[in-house]
Amino acid sequence: MSNTPHPYIGFGLGLRTCYFEEILATQPNVDWFEIISENYFVDGGKPWHYLDQIKEQYPIVMHGVSMSIGSTSDINFDYLGNLKKTIDRVQPMWISDHLCFSSLGDFNSHDLLPMPYTEEAIDHLAQRLNIVQDYLQRPLILENVSSYLTYQASQMSEWEFLSELHSRTQCRYLLDINNIYVSARNHEFEPETFLDAIPQQAIAQIHLAGHSDFGSHIIDTHDQPICDQVWRLFENFAKTRGPINTMIERDDNFPPFSELMAELDHARAIAPESWSVHDFA
Amino acid sequence: MTSLEQLQKDFVEMLSQDSPKFEAHIAAQSGLAPQQRAEIYQNAYRIRLTKVLEQDHEMLGLYLGDDLFEEMVKGYLAIYPSCAPSLREFGNRLPHFLSSQSPFKEHGILQEIALFERLLLRAFDAADSDTLQFTQLQSIQQTSWPNIQFRLHPSVQLLTCHYPAVESWQALKSEQSPPSPENTTERYWIIAREQDKRTGFYALSKCHYECLKSIQSGLPFGFVCETAAQYTDSEEQGMMQVMELLQKGIELGWLQSNIELLQA
Repeated sequence: MSNTPHPYIGFGLGLRTCYFEEILATQPNVDWFEIISENYFVDGGKPWHYLDQIKEQYPIVMHGVSMSIGSTSDINFDYLGNLKKTIDRVQPMWISDHLCFSSLGDFNSHDLLPMPYTEEAIDHLAQRLNIVQDYLQRPLILENVSSYLTYQASQMSEWEFLSELHSRTQCRYLLDINNIYVSARNHEFEPETFLDAIPQQAIAQIHLAGHSDFGSHIIDTHDQPICDQVWRLFENFAKTRGPINTMIERDDNFPPFSELMAELDHARAIAPESWSVHDFA
Repeated sequence: MTSLEQLQKDFVEMLSQDSPKFEAHIAAQSGLAPQQRAEIYQNAYRIRLTKVLEQDHEMLGLYLGDDLFEEMVKGYLAIYPSCAPSLREFGNRLPHFLSSQSPFKEHGILQEIALFERLLLRAFDAADSDTLQFTQLQSIQQTSWPNIQFRLHPSVQLLTCHYPAVESWQALKSEQSPPSPENTTERYWIIAREQDKRTGFYALSKCHYECLKSIQSGLPFGFVCETAAQYTDSEEQGMMQVMELLQKGIELGWLQSNIELLQA
C-alpha cells in the first residue's frame, strides 16, 4: 500500500445537508468539503443530487464513523463494499475513519469507543489496517477519539500508542484538536504533550470542533463553536508545523453558514502564512 | 478469549444490558468515579438512538406524547438494538414492534403511522432513474400495447391503511388534531419522490392501487388492464382508469423510462 503524503489542499468544512443549497447558490470560499461517508450509502435522492453538483466545484474528502476498525469481530466486508462503491463514485482526495471500535458482532453502538493502549491493541489494529487498506486500495487515515475513561489494561499514553502504531504501519492521523482537549481535561494531561509527540509526517489532517463543558467533565458534542482554548492549541501547534489540511467540523445545532465561514476564516488567519493555500496552487 | 475481546464484550454488555462487569476495566482517576465514566457512554448510546427515532418518526412522537414515546424507545432498544452500521436502518423494525408489543399493539394506527414514516424515508433516498415521458407512448405500436411492461420508479412505495394513519400524520404536521383512530374502510396510498427530489404522497383508488401492484409485480399492460376491469363495471371503464393512471404516473414521475416489450 502506497503511503505517499496526502496533498495539502488548505482549509475545509464539513458538508452537511442543511447547507447544500446555500453552498451551491453562493459558492463560498472553502478549499474543500468533508462528507460523512455513511450518509451516502444510499442509492439516490437528495444526498447524491446535491453532492454530485458540489463535487464538480470542490475537492471532497470522505470521513467515516462506522468502520469499527478496532473491533475484535470479523471485518465487515459488506460495509467495506459499500464504502468502496461510494469511494468510486465520489473520487475523494482521501478517506478517514476513527481509531476506535463501535460494533461487536451484531451490536452497533454508533459511538466511538476507545481502544485500550496496549501492545495487543496495536498488533490488532496493524493487522486490520493492512486488510482494510488492501481491500480499499488506498490508505486509511485514522482520527483520535475523545474519551471519558482510562482502562486498567492500558500500558502507555494515547500519544505513545498513536506514535507506536504509526512506527509500525506508517499510518497517518486526522488529529482532532478538540478531541485531544476533551480527553486532556477528562484525564488531566497536557494537550500540548499529546500534540508535540505526533511527528509531522504522521499527520494528514486536523479537525477543529466544539464541545459541551459539564464542569466535572467535558463531552465531545461537536455542536458548539470552537472554544478559545482549542483555538490557542491550534495556533500554537500550527506555528511549529508545516501546512496540514485543516477542517471545521460541526455535527449538530447547526448555525447559519456564515458562522462556520467565520470560524474557517479565523483558522486561516491564525495559521502561519506558509499554510496559505495560494502558495500551493 | 483474548483480553481485548473480553474488554470489548464487557463494554458492549454494559451498553446493551447494563451489565456491571465492565466497571472492573476502568482505572480509578480523580474526578469522576468509574461508574460515572461508564454512564457517560450508556447515556450517549441511549440519547443517540432515541434521537434517531425522534427524527425519523417525528409525527409518531407527537401522536404518542413524550411518556409513551419514551416507553416505546426503551422497549424497542431492549428488543431490537442497532445491528447495522447505518443509523438510517435502526428504526426499520419499529412498525413490527408496534404491532406486536403491548400497549402499542392494541392501537393499530401506531404501526401504520410508523410504517408510513419508514416509507417516506425509503422513498427519500431510493435510486434515481429517468422517468417515462408521454412521447415514449406515442412510439408504441397499437398491437404491442398488451405486451408492454412498465416499471415503477425505484422511489415508489405503496401502502394500504386500515386506520386514518396518513390523515393523522398530515393533521399533526399542520398542527391540527388528528381524526379519531377508528378502524374504517381500507385506504390506499402511493409515496414517491417528485421531480424536485421532494417526497410526495397521494391517495389512490382501489383500482389504481391494484393496477400499480400489477405493474410492481412485472405484469404486462394487458394484465394491468384486466386487473382494472375487475374493479370497474366494464373493460372500457377499466381501460379508462388505466389511461388515467398512466397520465398521472407520467406527470408525477411514478414510472421509469425503460419500458420493455415482452414476447407474446
